[in-house]
Amino acid sequence: MINKILEIIYAKIFVNIIVNRSTTSVYVEVTNKNGIVDSKESEFETITIDENMFNFIKSYIDNTPFFYISILDTSIDQGAVPTCTKIDMPKFYIPETSKHICVEDKWAYYSSKYDLNKTESTYKDIGIDFIFSPFSVLSIFFADKINSNLSIFVLVQESYLSLAIFDNSALLFAKHLDMEHEDDDAEELLMGSNLDEDEEEEDFDLDDNVNLDDLDVDDDISSLDDFGDIEDLGDMDDIDEFSEDQEMDELVEVEEKIISTDTSTEGFNEDYQRYSLIQGAINSFYKDSKYESKFVETIYIADSVGVTSDLKRYLEEEMFLSVYVRRIDLGAEICEMAKAEI
Amino acid sequence: MKYSYISAKNKSVITKEFKLLFTFFGVTFFMLFMTYMFLIYKDYSFDQDSIYISNAKIELRKKIKDMQSDIAFVEKQNLFSEGVFTNNSVLKDSITNLFDLVPNRITLSQAKLLENGLILYGITPNEDVYNFMLAAPLRSIFHRSYSSFYPAQNGWLKFVSTNYIDKEDEVTRREDLPNED
Repeated sequence: MINKILEIIYAKIFVNIIVNRSTTSVYVEVTNKNGIVDSKESEFETITIDENMFNFIKSYIDNTPFFYISILDTSIDQGAVPTCTKIDMPKFYIPETSKHICVEDKWAYYSSKYDLNKTESTYKDIGIDFIFSPFSVLSIFFADKINSNLSIFVLVQESYLSLAIFDNSALLFAKHLDMEHEDDDAEELLMGSNLDEDEEEEDFDLDDNVNLDDLDVDDDISSLDDFGDIEDLGDMDDIDEFSEDQEMDELVEVEEKIISTDTSTEGFNEDYQRYSLIQGAINSFYKDSKYESKFVETIYIADSVGVTSDLKRYLEEEMFLSVYVRRIDLGAEICEMAKAEI
Repeated sequence: MKYSYISAKNKSVITKEFKLLFTFFGVTFFMLFMTYMFLIYKDYSFDQDSIYISNAKIELRKKIKDMQSDIAFVEKQNLFSEGVFTNNSVLKDSITNLFDLVPNRITLSQAKLLENGLILYGITPNEDVYNFMLAAPLRSIFHRSYSSFYPAQNGWLKFVSTNYIDKEDEVTRREDLPNED
């Protein structure tokens, strides 16, 4: 009773932490009985918590006892399952090592207990109040679409993709994808999906299109011709000279390629990675007998990082999907969830 | 609706330091209050004891007075009993002496002990036996002795001997008067 009265007097502070690839974004919102008083977002060069971040958060939470610190779960061992019964859950994940939350008794999202504890211990100096699943963010953000569509819903973060397929608010499939382990995931997905030959070739062609966009066939042929001349070389000296020259040239070329890739094609590659992951995940949805397979034509993307139009283009052109991209402010969205939680 | 994997920590204005401080002062005030209550109780208890003791004192004084009066009464009774005992002893001795006085030839049929005298009824073979053997000792004991005889059926004489001891002043007055005999 006294606490309720004091809650009216004191301001409430919501601190929302979103861990990106190499930085952490902290969104702070100060509210009182009249509404939002102040909000600020700051980014820190850490993926855990450093002194600057600690001081930044501390400067806010020291003003009131009613502060709530939320974090978006980054566990790799998380996901969502199209069931809420304990008997069916072991088909999709290991319930003993995970914690799950049911949504309307239709589906559930889960995460590794170990990772949840690790997150809590990482931020023990400030104390974490809420750990939210990206799937719950996704379901709330697209609540209007989930209830009336059969669509793919994707939450795009800097390093993660949370993909879920809903059919009139019933979850059919969900997968949390880590871009940093893209190769492993992609291989796993491709192997797991048992793609046929044509599909593999299609993937190969897509890779070529991306990496060899500026190369033409003539260059390939000329290089092959040069390679053919090697067979005519007679003595070891020529070989040595040739090899030295070639090594130098190759090194220069490789360095140039690395520089150009780092600067101009970073966003492009990331979007392609995202496209690959989405494609792999959808393939596994169609192929895996665990899931009720339905043909999906629409994809809704909640974009928190600012994806380029390339992603939309890939999905439209390669997968023939109707793509809708909606910008999401993750900090504000998590803040709303924290408000709903208390 | 629950979205989070974990529950929010309990938020309170009361910090750990405040709790510690509150506990410390709370315990201190509690101990002081308990001490105060203990002293109040002891004070009350002391007052009650004091009233009880003063009442008991008054009662004991009253009892002492009663007992003193009882002692006085008992002492009086003791004195009285001693007097009675002495009198009885004297009387017993007197009676013993009296019967020692009676010779074998005279038989007493009745003896009346008076406060200041003795009346004897009996049978004597003759008046002389009585006069020599009984009347003489009686006269030595009593101040005044009167004897009267009347014959019995068997030829003996029944007698009535009335003897008195006079008080000091009567004796003195009697000695001053000329002898009647």
